[in-house]
Amino acid sequence: MAQAASKRSHRKKHPPQLDLLPVMNLFCVIIPFLLLSASFLEIATITMAPTQGIRQGATGATTNLARSEEERLQPKVIMTSQEMFIGTTAGTMHVCYTFREQRPEGEVLTYDFDSLAVKINDVYNELSRAYPSIDFSKITILTVEETRYDNIIRTIDVCADAGFDEPGLQVAPAATVNRAAQQ
Amino acid sequence: MSAPTKRKLPLLMGYRKSKAIFRGADKKVELNLTSMIDMFTILVVFLLKSYSAEGQIITISDALTLPKASVEQKVEMKLEIQVNKEAIVVDGDPIVAVNDELLSTGGSIPALTSRLSDHMEYNRRMKGTITEEDMKINIQGDVAIPAILLQRVMASSSEAGFSLQNLEVIKAEGEQ
Repeated sequence: MAQAASKRSHRKKHPPQLDLLPVMNLFCVIIPFLLLSASFLEIATITMAPTQGIRQGATGATTNLARSEEERLQPKVIMTSQEMFIGTTAGTMHVCYTFREQRPEGEVLTYDFDSLAVKINDVYNELSRAYPSIDFSKITILTVEETRYDNIIRTIDVCADAGFDEPGLQVAPAATVNRAAQQ
Repeated sequence: MSAPTKRKLPLLMGYRKSKAIFRGADKKVELNLTSMIDMFTILVVFLLKSYSAEGQIITISDALTLPKASVEQKVEMKLEIQVNKEAIVVDGDPIVAVNDELLSTGGSIPALTSRLSDHMEYNRRMKGTITEEDMKINIQGDVAIPAILLQRVMASSSEAGFSLQNLEVIKAEGEQ
């Protein structure tokens, strides 16, 4: 007669459990470290072309750009406290008027950068079509002394998007910049 | 008098414990950590993804807000000038206070030029020569500084020999 199975054999056999505590400890160390070293804001840089001198005499703010064909044709974004222009060898084109914008730090003077984007793209396309052998990348930002830094950066950014990714900065008194805009 | 055994505990009205509870009373209570491990794994993967292996060992002062731009160029570790509405700081040391007099004229700032020249001279002595890499400088400017202040800082840098100037910005993703 067969012997009855013991009670022990009827017990369910559980698979051995993993000890997760060391893993938890490891995670508790890694997570604060990663949180501290994580960079949620990525920093980038804009390389500026060497600052060019400005003649502030009767001839206006034009600089000696006639060193090469590219330099001769190099456009300028002219930022006055009332308007923005694009200056090329063909003349000066009005872009936009300044307006006041409400920001967390208060009311600030700014420009219509969407208009600039459209017009600077047109300038780039026209220059590239007219002079296919030249790779246009240089542009000069000519601005009055009071212009806010973020407006300058946005102008540089819009120009870079259009293809002018070698910006140079010129800062001049309002009278000088206004004269350059009228040329 | 000895303590009553489990079986001899008095059954109070409304307090009737099942036998199953008594059977498990001497067992260790174990937390189920699996769900927490799952959560931590997701968190670690996310943080590892956002962790920059190249490392941006750049300190941005609380006193300034960098402008945003959609440029891609990565920042390099170079000498830094921080320009805010109160002061011009080189390598952590305030050099010049920003006041109306400073903003009234153009050109280089003598104190800043002198400090930057010292840096350049130190580099020259340490390395024996100046390469293009040594001529690079990073400028962190507050969004609200006027153009004249930026121009004066850039002019001072150029005069001291730092002719390759990089403006630091916060990379804007999908904005504009």
